Amino acid sequence: MTQALLSAEKITKVYPDGTVALTDVDFAVRPGEVHGLLGENGAGKTTLTKIISGLLPPTAGRIVWRGKPVQFSSPREALKAGIGMVHQHFALVGPFTGLENIALGAEGGRILSAVRAAAIRRRVEELMAASGLQAPLDVPVEELPVGVQQRLEILKMLFRDVELLILDEPTAVLTPQEVDELFPILRRLAAQGKSVVFITHKLREILAVTDRVTVLRRGRTVAVRDTPDTTVEELAQLMVGEAVVAKVRRAPRPPGPVVLRVQDLRVPGAQGRPAVDGVSFEVRSGEIFAIAGVQGNGQSELVEALVGLRPWTGEAELLGRSLRGKGPAQIAALGLAHIPEDRHALGLILEFNVVENAVLGRIRPFLDPLGGVRWRRATHFAQDLLTKFSVQARGVRAPARSLSGGNQQKLLVGRELSKTPKLLIANQPTRGLDVAATRYIRDLLLRLRDEGLAILLVSADLDEIVELADRVAVMYRGTFTGVLPAEELDWEKLGLLMGGVAVQGARE
Amino acid sequence: MRAILESLLALALGVLVGAAVMAAWGRDPWGAYGALLQGALGNLRALTSTLSRSLPLVLTALTFAVAARAGMFNIGAQGQMLVGAVVALSTGLFTLPAGLHLGVALALAGLAGALWALPVALLKLVRGVNEVISTIMLNWVAHWLTLYLVVQKLSDRVVGQRTFLAPASMRFPPLYGELTWSWTVSVGVALFLFWFLWYHRQGYEVRAVGLNPKAARAAGISVPRAMLVALLLGGISAAWAGAIQVLGRFPYAITSDLANLGNLGFDGIAVALIGRNHPLGILGGAFFFGVLATGAARMGLRGIPLEMIQIVQGVIVVAMAAPEALRLLRRVRRRTTAEVPV
Repeated sequence: MTQALLSAEKITKVYPDGTVALTDVDFAVRPGEVHGLLGENGAGKTTLTKIISGLLPPTAGRIVWRGKPVQFSSPREALKAGIGMVHQHFALVGPFTGLENIALGAEGGRILSAVRAAAIRRRVEELMAASGLQAPLDVPVEELPVGVQQRLEILKMLFRDVELLILDEPTAVLTPQEVDELFPILRRLAAQGKSVVFITHKLREILAVTDRVTVLRRGRTVAVRDTPDTTVEELAQLMVGEAVVAKVRRAPRPPGPVVLRVQDLRVPGAQGRPAVDGVSFEVRSGEIFAIAGVQGNGQSELVEALVGLRPWTGEAELLGRSLRGKGPAQIAALGLAHIPEDRHALGLILEFNVVENAVLGRIRPFLDPLGGVRWRRATHFAQDLLTKFSVQARGVRAPARSLSGGNQQKLLVGRELSKTPKLLIANQPTRGLDVAATRYIRDLLLRLRDEGLAILLVSADLDEIVELADRVAVMYRGTFTGVLPAEELDWEKLGLLMGGVAVQGARE
Repeated sequence: MRAILESLLALALGVLVGAAVMAAWGRDPWGAYGALLQGALGNLRALTSTLSRSLPLVLTALTFAVAARAGMFNIGAQGQMLVGAVVALSTGLFTLPAGLHLGVALALAGLAGALWALPVALLKLVRGVNEVISTIMLNWVAHWLTLYLVVQKLSDRVVGQRTFLAPASMRFPPLYGELTWSWTVSVGVALFLFWFLWYHRQGYEVRAVGLNPKAARAAGISVPRAMLVALLLGGISAAWAGAIQVLGRFPYAITSDLANLGNLGFDGIAVALIGRNHPLGILGGAFFFGVLATGAARMGLRGIPLEMIQIVQGVIVVAMAAPEALRLLRRVRRRTTAEVPV
């Protein structure tokens, strides 16, 4: 067995808010290998690499680098030792040229003189020739495509002589062609003796480029495999885990009339790439239609389009009325309630008190003819919400910020349901909640379904999907890779679809 | 409650630093502060003078505050105040019955202030121009326009260093000393905006937009409308500051160097910060500012040089304004990192 270049031993990370991100994780990288780090969102991939690259301290465990235990207190120290990380959001200065960006921070504290610049340029050109990473050096980086910016980021690391290069989801921002160009470069770097850690949740990429793969699930190492000895199916199962046989709590129920009909919906995204690239579906009364998928595959954009926060093309109808050209207020008036993905950013105003939040977006019934707010009436309403949805708060005058996450979510859900909607869009409704609040929200959604509400559920949590959904669509890169009825759900299929692998029997 | 405690602490700190400055140059700080209080509050006449000074500041501070509540940094009160003053005075070119004349002057001034704020709102909402830039530029346009009108068109035929006097028919009736009934405008607008922001739907929406524009938009609130309303109300308020300075206070004219309009608009920002951008807090903040301004003259009599008085005033004002200013800056920083579309 080859001596590991880097090994992380029994790493545990608990964030200050109590979230346990990693538990006893072991991870080792050999010299000259491309090592895949595979896992769903929230599995702990990014946290682990942040610890390795000195951005976060581990709560417990140790890092061994070239046989010696080390403790990096900053990315700068890790970089000096030879560990460099390229983040999903690049650290480039937009108006600077490629060369200036590479020199930045490495210029040794002196102003970049012409002589030094020429020397740096020679080094960088050598590196480009050796690695195959070609990029223009004299163009402001903000004018370059993302793929080229990424090459500059990697060059920047090579320029600092890193031995271990960590790439956090490098393909997430790339076009398929750019991905095809990146992979041979990674192989070449490995052949030259560098080690590469390649983070992804895409199974095909693991098989295409890595030598070995470590699979993380819910903050634990579940497997380490030599890539040639594994298969897409095995990786999919390792990534999502064994099905904890979900008790089917759903009473079978014949689906009611169509409430939401979406036809060929398209939403433009960043850099001219469509975020949602033509999806069609229906949500019926008394049905929970779930959209599964790894985050960042267009789910958020799809929801924002439907609630009127983003421009889109195609057709969407709520109870036969087109949503085209309507804003959030008009769409809400048609009978839509929305539990947004990020309750702090979109759902609540944290500085507002409970009453003010309870009437956000539904203040009309509390107005006098002159537009004055009848706060007394609103206060009664808020008190009712607190009781009905068992929200624990110091009182109705307490700012929403002072409530716990679960109670904030219950307040938000209560407010949305008090609109007596026809369609509920719930985007990651239990993310970040404790067990009790999660249970509460899921039971509530099931009850509402039984009462005939149409529910569009977006979730990255497969347990949630399996427990709640009547039908499941899997979203990958802006389209549905498949739509499955609940009876045909199985974890392997879900994992494959989420990793972008088409499956027999799944309807496109 | 916490806000009041914080302000008192800041005040104590400012006073102490000011005292240290005076002591360091061998002056008697406590005697000087005593003179300041004596000069500002020592008798009824001094008190009315202090109040009279603070009244226009209430209005320009409200301009800043209502925009800040909508999440904007509006420093256009100065220009709107000048426009309001000159329009109010120009109403004196017509003859109207007493009382009605005053009402018309205020209406026209308010309209002018709103119009002066309108391009700021349009530029921001249509073209995304930051309100700080547009208000600074419009302040200068207003400054030179006012100066031109005051010197070239409205100046008194006999007394060259000021405009003609506002006719008695459009002056606020005197109350006592320097104080006139113009206080009703300042207090009235402050109370109105308090009601508006906390008891009216549109004011609720203004605050929602200021605290979290994304959530406001998601809840169906019109972000542009809230910002427009906040800027226009601010324009009216600032214009009335200029109007009451001309129609409610000696010399009932505009001096040719615009000295009696001074920096009312900019001082209003400090007052708004002292008053925590709250209409009722601003009433207190403006009074406090008036005390510093009126009492300073007395400190001079105790042998404190003018420059040192200004340092002491500055230190105290900065200390009092700092907590709210920091809060606003933090919010702006959060906003820019969050990238909020309007």
